[in-house]
Amino acid sequence: MKTILNSAITALALSTGAAAAQDFPQRTIELIYPWGPGNAMAVSQILAKAMSDELGVSVPVISTPGAAGTKAFLTAMNKPADGYTIIDGYVAPLVLQPVLGKADWTYEDFIPLHSAFSNAFALGVRAGEDRWATFEEMMAYCKEHPGELRYTSGSRNNLPHMVTAKALQGYDCVAQNIPYSANAEGMSDLKNGVLDFGIVNVGEFQQAGDQYNILLVLSELPESAEIFGGAASITDLGIDLGLSGLAPMGWDWWMVTKDTPQDRVDVLRDVMAKALARPEVQDKIKALGFVPLKWDYDQYAEIVGPVAGQLEAMGNALKWEEEQLAKQ
Amino acid sequence: MFADALLAGLDLFLTPQSMLLTVLGVVFGLVIGALPGLGPLMGIVLMLPFAVSLPPVAAMGFLIAIAVGGSCGGSVSAILLRIPGTPLAAATLFDGYPMAQKGRAADAIGIAISASALGGLFGGVVLILTAPLLASFASNFAPPEYTMLALTGLIAIAVVSEGSLLKGLITGAIGLLIATIGTDEFSTGYRFTFGIFDMLNGFHIVAIVVGIFAISEMASQVMGGGLNEKPDVKAVRPGFRTVWMTLKHWKNLLRSSTIGAAFGALPGVGGTISSFSAYAVAKALSKPEEGYGAGAEGGVVATESANNATVGGALVPTLALGIPGEAATAVLIGAMLILGFFPGPALFANQPDIAGGVFLVYLFSNVALLFVGILATPVFVWVLKLKKSYLIPVVLLLCAVGTFALQSSVFDLRVMLGFGLLGILLRGAGYPLAPLVIGVILGPLLENNLRRSLLISREGYWIFLDRPVSATLVVINLLLIGGATFVTMRSLRRRRQAPLVARTNDAGR
Repeated sequence: MKTILNSAITALALSTGAAAAQDFPQRTIELIYPWGPGNAMAVSQILAKAMSDELGVSVPVISTPGAAGTKAFLTAMNKPADGYTIIDGYVAPLVLQPVLGKADWTYEDFIPLHSAFSNAFALGVRAGEDRWATFEEMMAYCKEHPGELRYTSGSRNNLPHMVTAKALQGYDCVAQNIPYSANAEGMSDLKNGVLDFGIVNVGEFQQAGDQYNILLVLSELPESAEIFGGAASITDLGIDLGLSGLAPMGWDWWMVTKDTPQDRVDVLRDVMAKALARPEVQDKIKALGFVPLKWDYDQYAEIVGPVAGQLEAMGNALKWEEEQLAKQ
Repeated sequence: MFADALLAGLDLFLTPQSMLLTVLGVVFGLVIGALPGLGPLMGIVLMLPFAVSLPPVAAMGFLIAIAVGGSCGGSVSAILLRIPGTPLAAATLFDGYPMAQKGRAADAIGIAISASALGGLFGGVVLILTAPLLASFASNFAPPEYTMLALTGLIAIAVVSEGSLLKGLITGAIGLLIATIGTDEFSTGYRFTFGIFDMLNGFHIVAIVVGIFAISEMASQVMGGGLNEKPDVKAVRPGFRTVWMTLKHWKNLLRSSTIGAAFGALPGVGGTISSFSAYAVAKALSKPEEGYGAGAEGGVVATESANNATVGGALVPTLALGIPGEAATAVLIGAMLILGFFPGPALFANQPDIAGGVFLVYLFSNVALLFVGILATPVFVWVLKLKKSYLIPVVLLLCAVGTFALQSSVFDLRVMLGFGLLGILLRGAGYPLAPLVIGVILGPLLENNLRRSLLISREGYWIFLDRPVSATLVVINLLLIGGATFVTMRSLRRRRQAPLVARTNDAGR
């Protein structure tokens, strides 16, 4: 009797679950994206469009920049946990800002749907730069002339800034970071020789690769070096940043806030995996220089956990840079 | 160079969406321009929230077409009702209204539309020839040059703003202060956010412009009364022969368009000043038998070609440098930033297709203006009969829906209403609103580039004099400030002397 009752309850639960899943989604699902428009947003839009085709409702990408990505997280966390808000969980607001004490959440406070994309970055100088031919030569110059070189990593306190500061710290090189709100402005100053070096992202390299000389790819993955025309990577130079795998790169997972009903999470997980697996979606993402990631939700802790650990353990290279510059 | 950009933009322009939206923009611009009190700026502001969700070239086509249609639409009410729909058309009524009195209303409107379209096309040629040149000249501009350019923009706008210099400076400064709200890029610290996460990136520019311009304008329309008045206008049908009538004044057309395009490219000088100037020149050079002021065709040709050529001229610094000349282009820059492309030399170097697409939609909107304008004039005349009691609620609804839809944020609605209130107060006290918006747009440009320059510099402020272009701009800025101070001091001294003379007279009695 008990088993019959149990199975009846289970069946009922399953059927209502199925009914609820069928009811979802009934309206627009928003993807809260933490940066201003640009290449990375175009990539998110490609995937959002594919999910929208699968779901039958529109999935607009809402650009909500501010406070190194944390504004987007706060915006999403202040909306009802009903599955109608997806967070584009970039590493900076998800892991880095909590490590820096600028946000009071951890990656465990969110429910992952699927991993999305990664993009490597590289350190480059303008084409025709004749002061140094290699990264090591530049570092030797920098050590001799502390505080003299100027570089950009886009905005400040982002992942490229932290990774660059860490790499420079290893060579005892103190350089001045110049923040830019628009990547194009920083790249223009790099090309014009106003800046000495800078972080060049994949999109910029694909568009104007001949105007840069890439000195160092900040990733140990061979495919990243390949994207940057086979330039030297941290592995080639034997640089140990204390970062492996995804840790020195930009990446995002799409996720929802805690307390989102499980059946809705299931619908979104299923659809995101399907959308990401579509060949034309893969091609479009790769064409923009981004690498679609294959990890499903159940590998979230396994992949993101170590990154959080490594970023925490690498120490605050940003603090070091600030202190050294104050001494100049 | 010019052909390359145009060819690159052809693909983005030749889509049904871009072309249809451009035509729609012209129609909407004509309607909003014809309605008294609402001009091209208001049209752009109202449609901004909807445009930013479109592909870049379609969105810019829509907004620029509104500017083009709006710059012409004001002439309809100027000619028929003797009320300029926009200040741009104020000079058009000098000869347009007398023409209508003489039973030539259809001809006057036809000439106004033809002159607008032809003047606009002339402005387009100027835009296409000069913007890429200016952009390539500016391609090695760095933070010091942008700091000085932002300063030039701010000074010029304050100097030529309507009303007093002091009031222009005050609202400009309010704009600069508003621009400081949010996260500081350099220290990543929060400024004036009061612990509210919605303010971490400052206020949304669309919520600001909709509030400050549209909400306050609607409030002043309500206060103006006459909500149920229905002006008595008769149907008017201009024909295409008015194009020939306009072309007969080809010298006037070329001259006025040149004045318009040149004035448009200067910061702070808008279409109103160019149309009055073009009218003054045309009148001075006319023969007495032309009868300027009593219904001369040339008067309408001069003002309307000038104010539409201004749009093309104004787009030159907007696209090539990213520096707005007046409020409408400031809002267009805001739209471009939201759409994900940054006006300036990098736009021409990296995304020539977008720059070329914008050129093409601008040209096309003027062609569309000619045909749509002449064929659909009866519609715009009918619009004039709309009662304010219907119009105002519709506009307010558009404002609220559009602003909310940006980020589906209720906070943005509150910001819109807050700025609406500020706009009402400032209007009531006779302060110009445009410098505020320009301050908000130029504020971050000025602050960030100044701080960037000083970080890059190894010898402090000397970086502004070490670079030749930056040094030239420093001199221009000093001259502008010196000139403005001189003019203000002189008028102050005159005002002080006046009571003195009165007093001496009293004493002598």
